[in-house]
Amino acid sequence: MSARLTPEQVELRDAVRELARERIAPRAAEIDERGEFPRDVVELLARHDVFALGYPAEYGGLGEPLLTNCLMIEEVSRVCATSGLVLAVQALGSLPLLLAGSDEQKRRWFPGLASGELLDAFALTEAGAGSDPAGIRTRAVRDGDGWRIDGTKRFISHGSVADIVAVFAVTDPEAGRHRDLSCFYVERGMPGFEVARLEHKMGIRGSPTAELVFDGVRVPDANRVGEVGEGFRIAMRTLDRSRPGVAAQAVGIAQGAVDVAVAYAKERVQFGRPIADQQMVQAMLADMATRTEAARQLLYEACERIEAGERDASRWAAMCKLFAGDTAMAVTTDAVQVLGGYGYITEYPVERMMRDAKITQLYEGTQQIQRLVIARALLSGQ
Amino acid sequence: MRIVVLLKAVPVVGNEKLVDGWRVDRSAGLEANGNDEYVLEAGLKLIEQHGGELVTLTMGPTPALEAIRKALAMGAARAVHVQDPALAGSDALATGRVLAAALSRMEYDLVFVGADTSDGQGGVVGAAIATRLGSPYLSYAARIEPDPSAGTVRVRRISATGYDVIEAPMPALVAGTQLLGEPRYPSLRGIMQARSKQIATWSLADLGIDASSVGSGASLTDVDSATPPPARAGATVVRDAPDVAAERIVEFLAARRLI
Amino acid sequence: MAGEIWAIGEIVDGQPTRLSRELATLAASLAATAGRGARSVLVGAGAGDAAQALAAHGPDVLAVEADTADRPAATVIAGHVAALVREHQPSFLLVGASNDGRDVAGILQALLEWGTLVNAAGVAWQDGGPQAEMSVFGGRLSTLSHLASDHGIVIVRPSAVTAEEAAQPGRVERAEPSDVPELAAVRVVERIREASAAVSIEEAPVIVAGGRGVGGPDGFGVVEDLADALGGVVGATRAVVDAGWIGYAHQIGQTGKTVKPALYVAAGISGAIQHKVGMQLSGTIVAVNRDPDAPIAEFADLMVVGDLFEILPRVSAAVRARRGG
Repeated sequence: MSARLTPEQVELRDAVRELARERIAPRAAEIDERGEFPRDVVELLARHDVFALGYPAEYGGLGEPLLTNCLMIEEVSRVCATSGLVLAVQALGSLPLLLAGSDEQKRRWFPGLASGELLDAFALTEAGAGSDPAGIRTRAVRDGDGWRIDGTKRFISHGSVADIVAVFAVTDPEAGRHRDLSCFYVERGMPGFEVARLEHKMGIRGSPTAELVFDGVRVPDANRVGEVGEGFRIAMRTLDRSRPGVAAQAVGIAQGAVDVAVAYAKERVQFGRPIADQQMVQAMLADMATRTEAARQLLYEACERIEAGERDASRWAAMCKLFAGDTAMAVTTDAVQVLGGYGYITEYPVERMMRDAKITQLYEGTQQIQRLVIARALLSGQ
Repeated sequence: MRIVVLLKAVPVVGNEKLVDGWRVDRSAGLEANGNDEYVLEAGLKLIEQHGGELVTLTMGPTPALEAIRKALAMGAARAVHVQDPALAGSDALATGRVLAAALSRMEYDLVFVGADTSDGQGGVVGAAIATRLGSPYLSYAARIEPDPSAGTVRVRRISATGYDVIEAPMPALVAGTQLLGEPRYPSLRGIMQARSKQIATWSLADLGIDASSVGSGASLTDVDSATPPPARAGATVVRDAPDVAAERIVEFLAARRLI
Repeated sequence: MAGEIWAIGEIVDGQPTRLSRELATLAASLAATAGRGARSVLVGAGAGDAAQALAAHGPDVLAVEADTADRPAATVIAGHVAALVREHQPSFLLVGASNDGRDVAGILQALLEWGTLVNAAGVAWQDGGPQAEMSVFGGRLSTLSHLASDHGIVIVRPSAVTAEEAAQPGRVERAEPSDVPELAAVRVVERIREASAAVSIEEAPVIVAGGRGVGGPDGFGVVEDLADALGGVVGATRAVVDAGWIGYAHQIGQTGKTVKPALYVAAGISGAIQHKVGMQLSGTIVAVNRDPDAPIAEFADLMVVGDLFEILPRVSAAVRARRGG
């Protein structure tokens, strides 16, 4: 039991743990194999108010802090990383609204997002603009009382299933770095908004990653979130609060791998004894569990500091994501090793966990970008 | 419609901690009895359909609170918890007496109880309570259909040859089975709301029951001894191809004179 | 004089149930050891005729004709037995662990304020009273318990003893107890017969049970066929009953029935604790499972690793061939 969790958080976590273990875990292999977005899991999470957790109570949410949401992402990812990502993406796509949306905008979208009736997505990345938002080419120009958006976004999680997508587009190319972007919510079905293709991926295979094309999409000014030119700031503040979600997914994946490896080591008999009796196996399990717990504690600490509004939130967000992502990769790799040949085949879940873990080192900023953020904060004396 | 669900907190099956050789440690690790969750689910559905209030009634030590809170999170409006140190070790007879006394202080149209408990009171407590209260008793329910306007309840009761449709005026006591349908998981909103729901704690004094008439001292049954059952020798493992495997099964059965 | 030991019987389709016959045999043997009298009691429509069959097991039978057409049998039985108990003052009542039996025992417990030993898998006479053997805590312990007073109720599981006919059959005595306590009325609206409910898995000497491994409702074909070949009945796990592959009457385990056949064949059953508690007392357990690490390997006598659809039909054929040859 964690010293920092409230009894209520423990109760909420345990409820989702049970739900994940009994209802989502049996689906995980199938979701991965078929590469289908798990609508049933979305429905399950919606019915049990898991989406609602992080939204403000006045807009149909449960008003819980970032940490509680991360606990849920962790528990679901422990059995199925694709399903854990469903929660992480929903939170990500709502953050621009939460951070910069008007009361009217929140009233319009939050109840549907909190109930799981609506899904959202976050579209910042482009083919030529991954780690560097300065490369963004998508343009939004004034068009009467609204805007016209043209451009292409790539690697957008849930882009093909989202009802609303937060799109970051250049509104003033002359304004210079950090002032040229604005944020718009584009709704599914708006003329000119198309899903161009879905990526074939190594892991999180049930989570659709889409290329989105905006061809003269007319968006009313009411869908613009924040001030014109505020987009970069909104995006960066969003990442401060969303990177812990990726870290939570990574911690969950790592814990899931520890669970499987420990159970397997106790059952698998070689040389007449369970392999758990072998000290070399014990050492691996001990390291895996310790790293996972360290990642978890750093994540929880980061959540509390970000929630408290500390000035170096970016550094904490980057640190927890960096450490948890690397931990997930290392621990799942070791889990495959503990299972030996069985770890490499689809009969056991650890090969899937290892493939899923890799993404946590890549999205919402590669590990290299996290290090850059951390180093910058350190060197600027924050 | 007012429904009271009798909810027992039992040790997790297969995970019981034993003390003094055979007594089960009820100080930790209790969960709601399986059949009780089925009747709770049936009750919640009826409240959704007809309106009203569902209250749980539990007799048990402090760790029973976990099961009670889960029931509140699932949708029960409030809970009554009969708790008294003198109750420890009560037999089925005393349990029936205490729960009947508690129910006589509550208002209800229906009382639901699980057809039996996993920690072994033999499925007799429901019938005993109904008898004490002078209420109709409808047991082994696979379906429960109250008719509030007629003031009656109809139950599909599992019988040795199929099922009986039985009916009685309310208030009545119904013992239900797994066929009532899977219990729901509590929603997170339900869990958060449960924290502000009322759990009333009643002592034996509140119920006007003499402490010496319950508990292990008053139990009319005693355990003489408890031993682990004889261990099985361990399985002979067969991994042959189907033809040979089938042959080996038949030989095995023949050797034991089972065919 | 010390009070009698009574066996409370049940009538289904005009006949005493097998469990009632077992209770009569048990009452006779306990009474012989104790030097007390034994009696069976039958209450219901056609009790007089059914009593003749029950008397073959030794004890005299008190037969009470009572209308059970539109009332649940348990209420009728319990009320009349309570009145007879007040009249004849027996010491101990043996009641069967059937649905009706449990209801009868619960009602009698409250009417008589008697202690109750439940779920007895065996009963012996010890220190002036019945001593019941029970399997508790998921089969981890077997306990011996007794009643703390000189009267009480013992609920006895099927197959605790084998029903035997006595050299000297008992007599049948018609009884019409007075002052039968009035129990709150429950009306039987209709009785529905279902072929699937007629299986008495608790009494079957051989059970072939299917779990998730049978794959679907059609998969039970090979299970049924083997049960047929072995002269047994079909059992099932909760998972497959919940999935609707087979009826609840077949379910064995924590929220289903507890069985103790001479032979239990577990096909495609992993052996989770919830199932194990319902069948671990079986005489011989044979498991057929693809997964050599399934928990059932820990308590089976013969663990066959393989495809049940390949293996079961071959066993059925071989068993039939042996019988034919």
